[in-house]
Amino acid sequence: MSIVIADEPRTAPPPPEPAVPVRNYLNNNYSVWSWLLTTDHKRIGILYLVSLTLFFTVGGIAAGMVRLNLLSPSGAILTEDQYNRMFTAHGVVMLFLFLIPSIPAVMGNFFIPMMIGAKDLAFPKLNLASWYVFMIGAGFAVWAVLAGGIDTGWTLYPPYSSRYSHTNVTPGVFGVFITGFSSIMTGLNIMVTIHKMRCPGMTWGRMPLFCWALYATSFIQLLGTPVVAITLTLLMVERVAGVGIFDPTIGGDPLLFQHLFWFYSHPAVYIMIVPGMGVVSEIITCFSRKNIFGYKAVAWSSVGIAVVGFLVWSHHMFVAGISYYSAILFSFLTMLVAVPSAIKVFNWTATLYRGSITFQAPMLFTLAFLVLFTVGGVTGVFLATLGTDIHLHDTYFVVAHFHFVMVGGMVLAYMAALHFWWPKMTGRMYSDFWSRASATIIFVGFFLTFVPQFVLGYHGMPRRYPNYPQEFQVYNVLSTAGASVLGFGYLLPGVYLTLSLFFGKKASANPWSATGLEWQTPSPPTLHNFDATPVVVCGPYEYAIAVDQMGRGLPEPPGPGSAGDPASHFGPTGPCGPIYKETEVVG
Amino acid sequence: MNNSLPGLADRASVVADRFEPLFWYIVAWTALGTLLVCAGMAFCCIKYRRTAASGSTPRILGSHRLELFWTLTPLLIFLTFFVWGAWVYDSAVHPPKDAPEIKVIGKQWMWKAQYPEGQRVIIGGNPGNMTEEERANIGALVLPVDRPVKVTFISEDVIHDFGIPAFRQKIDVLPGRYVSTWYHPTKVGEYHVFCDQYCGTWHSLMVGKIKVVPQDEFDRFLREKADGSLAWEGQQLFRKLQCIDCHSPNAESGTKLHPRAPSLEGLYGRTVPLRGGGTVVADESYIRESILNPRAKVVEGWEPIMPGNYESQVSEDDLIKVIAYIRSLKQGGMIPPNERFPAPDGAPRNTPTPPTTPSGSPGGKP
Repeated sequence: MSIVIADEPRTAPPPPEPAVPVRNYLNNNYSVWSWLLTTDHKRIGILYLVSLTLFFTVGGIAAGMVRLNLLSPSGAILTEDQYNRMFTAHGVVMLFLFLIPSIPAVMGNFFIPMMIGAKDLAFPKLNLASWYVFMIGAGFAVWAVLAGGIDTGWTLYPPYSSRYSHTNVTPGVFGVFITGFSSIMTGLNIMVTIHKMRCPGMTWGRMPLFCWALYATSFIQLLGTPVVAITLTLLMVERVAGVGIFDPTIGGDPLLFQHLFWFYSHPAVYIMIVPGMGVVSEIITCFSRKNIFGYKAVAWSSVGIAVVGFLVWSHHMFVAGISYYSAILFSFLTMLVAVPSAIKVFNWTATLYRGSITFQAPMLFTLAFLVLFTVGGVTGVFLATLGTDIHLHDTYFVVAHFHFVMVGGMVLAYMAALHFWWPKMTGRMYSDFWSRASATIIFVGFFLTFVPQFVLGYHGMPRRYPNYPQEFQVYNVLSTAGASVLGFGYLLPGVYLTLSLFFGKKASANPWSATGLEWQTPSPPTLHNFDATPVVVCGPYEYAIAVDQMGRGLPEPPGPGSAGDPASHFGPTGPCGPIYKETEVVG
Repeated sequence: MNNSLPGLADRASVVADRFEPLFWYIVAWTALGTLLVCAGMAFCCIKYRRTAASGSTPRILGSHRLELFWTLTPLLIFLTFFVWGAWVYDSAVHPPKDAPEIKVIGKQWMWKAQYPEGQRVIIGGNPGNMTEEERANIGALVLPVDRPVKVTFISEDVIHDFGIPAFRQKIDVLPGRYVSTWYHPTKVGEYHVFCDQYCGTWHSLMVGKIKVVPQDEFDRFLREKADGSLAWEGQQLFRKLQCIDCHSPNAESGTKLHPRAPSLEGLYGRTVPLRGGGTVVADESYIRESILNPRAKVVEGWEPIMPGNYESQVSEDDLIKVIAYIRSLKQGGMIPPNERFPAPDGAPRNTPTPPTTPSGSPGGKP
């Protein structure tokens, strides 16, 4: 009968709605140079948001072309060469230019300083440099995949990529190599900021789980990215100079590349998903008005994933020609890395227990994340198991699995984060109806797209096939139909979020009645986030007693039973939490 | 070809029969886990949704017992997957010692098979990349039912992957290295072969057919299409490439007769001492390396004088033949270079000798 008792909070009435300041980070200066030379973490976050939206669109169009082409067993609209370039463009753009930077660079930049009560990141100029480096690298990569294209797949396996492909491999790889530095800079910045710039009272144990998740992510970015940088350099050396590194005919070893590549790229999938897990912890507590169940378990499982994630890379190579014993070892280690993710899912589910749950768009995206991520996680176990992987490897089962994790997990977490923090970032509320509709459509479209691919994979349909046997067609058509629903779901936020900038209601400082420090400033925030340095007195999720991290009361949450919709809350109208509340014992 | 997929995928090998129970065992556990999570979420979302009457929520921080429970339970279940999966994998990757061996070469974009008796088949690929002769030879990888067969793969260019969904097995086919697996077909029929590792423009056309046939039909196949065994063809190459000028029978270090290179008789499978210490087992990979890169591992007592330009002269097809010849050499089995007519060890039946011999004799042994 054990229970964790948190610091006993001191409570007070909810703070008055801060007066809307004349100057905030958005309207302070409208000139182009004020954006391009800004060192404000919030503006850099917005720069990343705009760039990533662009790259997501490019990658999404490529995905649409791939799915359209698969309508017919011999390719509906593209030639083989075009198809190969298209799926490579999709993979390269989505992974290196969207998923890896997504939450760390947009939400991390914007909210890590605000959540820990800091004025900015530790190295504001480095932060701006990271965006420029990213854009230069992305420029190379996008130019390479659009003008002429790359036909190697995002995994770039040599000797095909180094000695056989006649496409734009070198500029593309060079671009990815450059964006890696941006990733390192962001990771370093976030890590140092979390170490050195927490406001008084913000102990490690009181830090929001989003910060823990990004801390773990930064750890992977710092340790992993240099490895992929050197790998890509070696690839370019072999391709450009003909030095035998990976091609056996000139003295190289093709498996060396795979080891080095996956040593980064497997942890990289945790760079993508762990920040999403942080977002989920923030949102699920807020919309169920509960403390997170098992704070320490959720926090340390992020760190556990980051560490064990470095020890499992060879599970991508079970049939690639690695030794029998290393296959056994890596299968075993992979089983271990599955456990922290399972722990998180159970803790999130337990957080809902006896909550007071509302279903605004951020929560709907989060619940969708939970379902899709769970499916994505358990199907990964099939690929960790040796006996099943020797059949499922490189089939559509793998494609479906990682899309469940990367899209069902990460992209939905990104959407959840965007909808959760949009009022804070822009000061505007978006359409409640359309945002919920979008979450529902994306969820349904996603299932329709990727469940048929599990069936195809079980029957052995290989990845990267523009031509396939007739009997696979039915499921491919189903998948493409689902993809069009999914695509429509993605278009909606583009419309209603844009419209909200002009026509949306003004958001209050704390529209979701959340506890984090980022909600204690006006929406949108002032230039330096906080007028006075905040002092933190309690943990991050004291929803049960309705106090924020500074020990002040929370405004009344939106939803049934509240006086109106979130945009209309001004002033200290909400209920104040009781001074002391029994901590209930479970388990 | 039927136009729809069956609920359960076709099974045609021992590994496939072992794959299915494991696969559905994992499906059962993971579906149960997923359903439990979803049911828990659905229950909470309905029961605890906020209504006008909702009060405040309890302050529940966690439970060490529950954490321990849901850490250990999935771990134990995952470990059963691991153990069972490792067993299936173990049975799938170790070929039995006595299984006959077929060689398969992958290249952009076709699969070629060589049987020890000399049959050559194009398993499949993009006809656009083939010569006239290769196009005429497009067939299937013919395997006997209910008999284990070892298959050794090598690629001429990039990495390919030989995957047979009905056998639930695949293996990456690497350039510069022999990799082996084995199949034990259990059902007569025709099955897909896919290249599962992306290999360039016509990757999706690098597909072919496996044909599992009854034993008597397999024997007929071996008899009918033979045109000289691999070892015999290797012997021809051994002369043509002038290997025999140095690697003669009875050559020993220091003898006056053939002082330049060690004899290869009885070499295969032996442990060879290396110059500068160490030993190596003379398997196919070692022999292949010694032909292409003679100075990598030099046998103790011999000078590294073998020319290193064979890479440009010998294709992977030819290497397999030469290795098959070297492998077949028993002590005293080699024909000296000055002998005019080689003994017809697996010689083709329809070449020089008049067709007086009955066509029944199999191509392998005289």
